[in-house]
Amino acid sequence: MKATRRSEALSAALLLLPFMAAFVLFFLLPAFQTLYLSLTESSLTRTSAFVGLANYDTLVHDPAFWSSLGNTFYFSVLTVIPLTALGLAMALLVDRFTGDRQRAGTWLQSVFFLPYVLPISVMTLIADWMLQPSSGIVNHLLGVQRAWFSDVHWAMPVVAIATVWWTVGFNMLIFLAGLRNIPREQYEAAALDGARGFAVFRHITWPALLPVTVTALVLQLIASLKVFGQTYIMTTGGPFNTTRVTLHYMYETAFTQSDAGYAAAVAMAFMFVVVALGLLQALLLRKRK
Amino acid sequence: MRHAGKRLAGGLSELLPGLLPGLLLLLLALSCGAARADAQVVRMWTLLSGGDGARMRALIDSFNASQQEVRVESTTLKWGEPFYTKLITASVAGAGPDLATIHLSRLPNLAGGGVLRPISAAELAAGGLQGSDFLTRQWDRSQYGGRTYAIPLDLHPLVLYYNKDLAGQAGLLGADGRLAPIVGMDAMTNAFRAVKERTGKAGLTMESAQSTYAIWRLWLSLLAQQGLPVVADGRFAYGPAGERTLAAIARWFQAGYATPGQDYPASTSQFMAGNAGFMINGVWEVPELVRGTRAGTLRFRYGIAPLPQLYGNASAWADSHGFAIPASEGRPMSPEKATAVLRFVAYVNTHSFGWAEGGHIPAYRPVAESPAAMALMPNAEYGAAAASVVYDPPGWYMGAAGPLEAIASKFLPAPLAGQLTPADALRRFETEAQRLLRKRPPRY
Repeated sequence: MKATRRSEALSAALLLLPFMAAFVLFFLLPAFQTLYLSLTESSLTRTSAFVGLANYDTLVHDPAFWSSLGNTFYFSVLTVIPLTALGLAMALLVDRFTGDRQRAGTWLQSVFFLPYVLPISVMTLIADWMLQPSSGIVNHLLGVQRAWFSDVHWAMPVVAIATVWWTVGFNMLIFLAGLRNIPREQYEAAALDGARGFAVFRHITWPALLPVTVTALVLQLIASLKVFGQTYIMTTGGPFNTTRVTLHYMYETAFTQSDAGYAAAVAMAFMFVVVALGLLQALLLRKRK
Repeated sequence: MRHAGKRLAGGLSELLPGLLPGLLLLLLALSCGAARADAQVVRMWTLLSGGDGARMRALIDSFNASQQEVRVESTTLKWGEPFYTKLITASVAGAGPDLATIHLSRLPNLAGGGVLRPISAAELAAGGLQGSDFLTRQWDRSQYGGRTYAIPLDLHPLVLYYNKDLAGQAGLLGADGRLAPIVGMDAMTNAFRAVKERTGKAGLTMESAQSTYAIWRLWLSLLAQQGLPVVADGRFAYGPAGERTLAAIARWFQAGYATPGQDYPASTSQFMAGNAGFMINGVWEVPELVRGTRAGTLRFRYGIAPLPQLYGNASAWADSHGFAIPASEGRPMSPEKATAVLRFVAYVNTHSFGWAEGGHIPAYRPVAESPAAMALMPNAEYGAAAASVVYDPPGWYMGAAGPLEAIASKFLPAPLAGQLTPADALRRFETEAQRLLRKRPPRY
């Protein structure tokens, strides 16, 4: 008996080893290196001096960092709820197509999901064409001549809208999986009891979907906080940095200004914010459940 | 599927006899290539694209065809910050190219940061060059810390293009059919207004969208015209004049003489289509005008003048392309390779008349001072600009697509569209750029 357990432990360890090795090599080690880097004065490739917490001291008093953090939150506010709600709505819609109409449902599902498979460069190009000041279809339809990406008030919302269109398909899939996990018997029982329409959704679908929703919200928040490519390509952080998000600022300090030490400090501070927010959100949502 | 595979395999075995002669030919071609394998291969990275890129391409091809010992293989990379980031990281990692085109304004950054390898007088001589072959200003800009880090190729200043038809209607031409001298900010503004009022077309067109470097270049020129440094003793030193100057530029746009928010292609096509009286831009648009005139697609006569003296003197921003050798630490260049590199650089400079046809002012004196180059049109119209050019001021953070320009490009265009006041734009620019001024120059 004991021997079996030992061999079980051994094989478990053996099976875990590849993952642990990859985790240590590609996550833990770089994370500690970044932490160390953030305590030094470094250019792109060379460390010149250990400076303790000096980079963090600069960070606290750096308006550019705080404004970039503000922009990141603004983007998250504009995307997290719409992406989750729209994903749910789309899943509910697709899920209605059952039986004979299954094919139509599959077709609709593909249409909703398709934008998600586009590479970011293609997505931004499409958005850029559609939003061109003089030739874009959006201005044509609205009958205006707005340069959306250089408009202080519109630049970030427009990036957010493009992002929602691009990624909502993934959330739809998560919700769809959740929906299909709900046992059909529950619906049948409810129907026997005379429940219909919104009541079914409120008392059966929604409670069953809650854990999925929590997962979707947390994943979405983390994804939105990590925004970089969209604003980098579509607005280059402009006009005058109103859409420059934290990862973009980190990129600029590291690569344009060759200040890797400071960029590492930005990265560490940002990681702290993301982890804290993710935990907080998960805790709050769990409690409500 | 399996069936198809079988058929394909069968087809292949039948095809093979047919393919054999081809394979033999291929082998023969390869062995011919091997005959040239002892040629020095020089790998070059360039940021030149468009017309400049095509001209450089032609120079490389003719160099490769002119001899057997050296073969230059060039790769064109995206202009600007990505190019320099790649050059810096590759060079430091020992994976840089043998030769790179750079802007001389970036020398304090690149040479100071240890990215480039100095070039000795002996190496220059082996290639057939010496310092006195080059115009003083460009040669001086190729030196850092008393050593030569680059070999200049050209000079490309900001100039004033004008549409002779529109300027004529607005009464701005002299008896000789060329632009009557414009002196002073008011005169310039009046000229733009005259075009707008008399012809209904825009007075001025220039790149003015967010993240453009054009406004920085003009602002720098006009500060230099007032004898004001941008940075002195590690602080911003342009003072209230900086704000006044930016406000004066913004007024052209606010008054409707020019359209704010235009990106580069939109701004040049407005001029090329005959829809603007003036264009402030670098000399690199010259070939497009020459070509348009020759092809008959340009529907107006044009002229080019040095940037007018709007303040105390006629300073105009300029930069130069040059050749530099990345340090590629841990992989020092062999003397033979260095000679090969310099032979190519010398070839390009001695053949830089073709480069002058790209609008640039050559840095190589035997070409620049040749009667043919002096008489080359339209270059001769703005040749005088060379006497009063200013580069980006020295500083590790300065230079083409450098850290400070990147920040300036975000804020300086904002007042043109009225998104920020000039004071606010400069305040934000300083707040963010201050960190660069305080930082020690990085050793890459």
